Amino acid sequence: MRQQPSSELLRVENLTKIFQIRHGFSTREFRAVDDAAFTLTAAKPEIFTIAGESGSGKTTLARMVLGMEQPSSGILQYKGRNIADLSLGEKRAWFFKEVQPVFQDPFAAFSPLKKIDHYLYETVHNYKMAKKSETDDYVNEVLQQVGLTLAEVRGRYPNELSGGQAQRMAVARALLTNPSLIVADEPVSMLDASLRMSVVNMFRDLKEQQQVSILYITHDLATAYYFADRIAVMLRGWIVEEGPVEKVLGSPLHPYTQNLKESIPQADPDHAWSSEVDLAILDTDEYTRKGCRYAGRCPHVMDVCRHTEPPNVTAQGRTVKCFLYTEEHAADAAPVQSAVDSSNH
Amino acid sequence: MTLLKEFILPRLLQWLLVIFIGVTITFLIPRVSPVNPIDQALSRLTAFQNLSPEATIALRASIEDLYGLQGSIFEQYIAFWKRILRGDLGPSFTSFPMMVNDIIRKSIGWTIGLLGTCVVIAWLLGLILGTLASYYRNRWWSRFLENSLITVYPIPYYILAFVLLMLFAYYFPIFPLVGGGRGTPGLTWTYIRTVIQHATLPALSIIIGATAFRFIMAKALTSGEIASDYVQYAELAALPKRKIIFSYIMRNTMLPQVTDLGLSLGAIFEGALITEVVFSYPGIGSSLYNAIISADYNMIMGITLLSIVGIATASLLVDLSYPFFDPRVRYR
Repeated sequence: MRQQPSSELLRVENLTKIFQIRHGFSTREFRAVDDAAFTLTAAKPEIFTIAGESGSGKTTLARMVLGMEQPSSGILQYKGRNIADLSLGEKRAWFFKEVQPVFQDPFAAFSPLKKIDHYLYETVHNYKMAKKSETDDYVNEVLQQVGLTLAEVRGRYPNELSGGQAQRMAVARALLTNPSLIVADEPVSMLDASLRMSVVNMFRDLKEQQQVSILYITHDLATAYYFADRIAVMLRGWIVEEGPVEKVLGSPLHPYTQNLKESIPQADPDHAWSSEVDLAILDTDEYTRKGCRYAGRCPHVMDVCRHTEPPNVTAQGRTVKCFLYTEEHAADAAPVQSAVDSSNH
Repeated sequence: MTLLKEFILPRLLQWLLVIFIGVTITFLIPRVSPVNPIDQALSRLTAFQNLSPEATIALRASIEDLYGLQGSIFEQYIAFWKRILRGDLGPSFTSFPMMVNDIIRKSIGWTIGLLGTCVVIAWLLGLILGTLASYYRNRWWSRFLENSLITVYPIPYYILAFVLLMLFAYYFPIFPLVGGGRGTPGLTWTYIRTVIQHATLPALSIIIGATAFRFIMAKALTSGEIASDYVQYAELAALPKRKIIFSYIMRNTMLPQVTDLGLSLGAIFEGALITEVVFSYPGIGSSLYNAIISADYNMIMGITLLSIVGIATASLLVDLSYPFFDPRVRYR
């Protein structure tokens, strides 16, 4: 076991999750997460986005980080300790306190039959976050971090909250144990645009003021661009492009990232929504494809893409998994960047 | 006041309407049946004697009067309501001159004792086992429990009952074959012991099937709850398992379960027909069975009315109790 508590918060290396699909008597396996790698440092909290379309494996990755799913292979360490090796007792005593999730549906976060503050008190007592007499103050303090007060929510049932309040409560719930990492799986996709901004800003404040790192899982590139520090774009289990968000989304290199970026509708009548967005075909077909998994949809597909898995290339301050940026193939390829630029602007 | 007017009153009216329609249908159905109870009674009375035609007509008139079958159907209907509102269900046709009220009073205790106990036991067992088996779905005991209950569940009830009867009353005569109790009825230990002995097999036959049903239902409801976000959160907050299982999972599956318990308890009043026939148990199901095969209309109507009132009342009570179980249901 490697002990590097000071430098690394979360270390993901060659992380793979294989699921078996049964077709009658034969089973086929597909790699929901394939060879994923990234690292979050402990010293400097950041918002790390994992973006991708549905079925790209981002939620599976999140569930592995939360310890809810066992990795098939690879390294997944939290503060230098393998998450998969933790016993249930250790998880309950330490890990669950450190890493907390926020899921998509805020109204599902609380039992509909219990008053909403009930859960908060239960958690505080359970983890002994505050003395009995100071529980109210502690809960109120946590609620203030998300812009709520105890008086606002005390004695209310989940269905009596507004969408924004509910999602704030869901985040407050995660903050109760004073975690170092929050895994937020599509936390704003069920909120309307104005609420979305306020919740996203709240996450940014948490990072800056409470020193919490956030693993932000989303399909929504706009919010990712707005508040993330780094981004990893996932496609069918692969991380195809990873780097600082302004680089990856500002000038995407991987054809898939380019396609994703084009597919964001813009509120500009002169800028028609690109009609060339390729929709994904059947998930498992792309998952089990030989060579590059994007080859079937890629506008720059080359022969090599159809039979060989592309390598991870470091180019322009990021990692990209594409043959276009390897030295030997760069020459064959069409000038990708300019092609996109001319169609886009 | 609004509570009474907007929540309780509409439900009470609904309850009255259901009972009214039920009573009306109960009144009508025997009257369109091809079997004529008066002819039956007449033939029974005159089987071994010769009556003059005038005597027969007089006898017919007095039987019609006695059975409440005089006048047009509308007059009969009014008279029927008058009797029911007085709580008088009339005489039994076959056990004449015993009153239906008395017969029901004698058998209802057996049925309520047997079925009430069974329904409550099966409900508790199925609910708790189903929830636990669903929560610990990978343990050997939960698989064993599930497989055995799912195997038992589709066995037709009368086969299960007969198998139990053959096994434990005939091959291994642990329990008595028929009846409800032996000795002088009373609150003596010996009598109560025979009652329990007699009730064990019928109870077992009911509990097995009912528990299996409840188990499957609880398991289905629970697996939905377990996947819900708030149970996941409770797990990640490392709340004690006991708390997660009982106060988060089971509590949230209670609503349909409570409804079902209420309705099952209401349905007690129609008796467990097959159980009571198979085990010759002196409950209301046996009475109903005998009434049906001998066209004892008053008896059939009496038991039917009882079960209509029972189920309607049970669903009224369940309805009124919802707000205690689910804060989302408000007294509106």
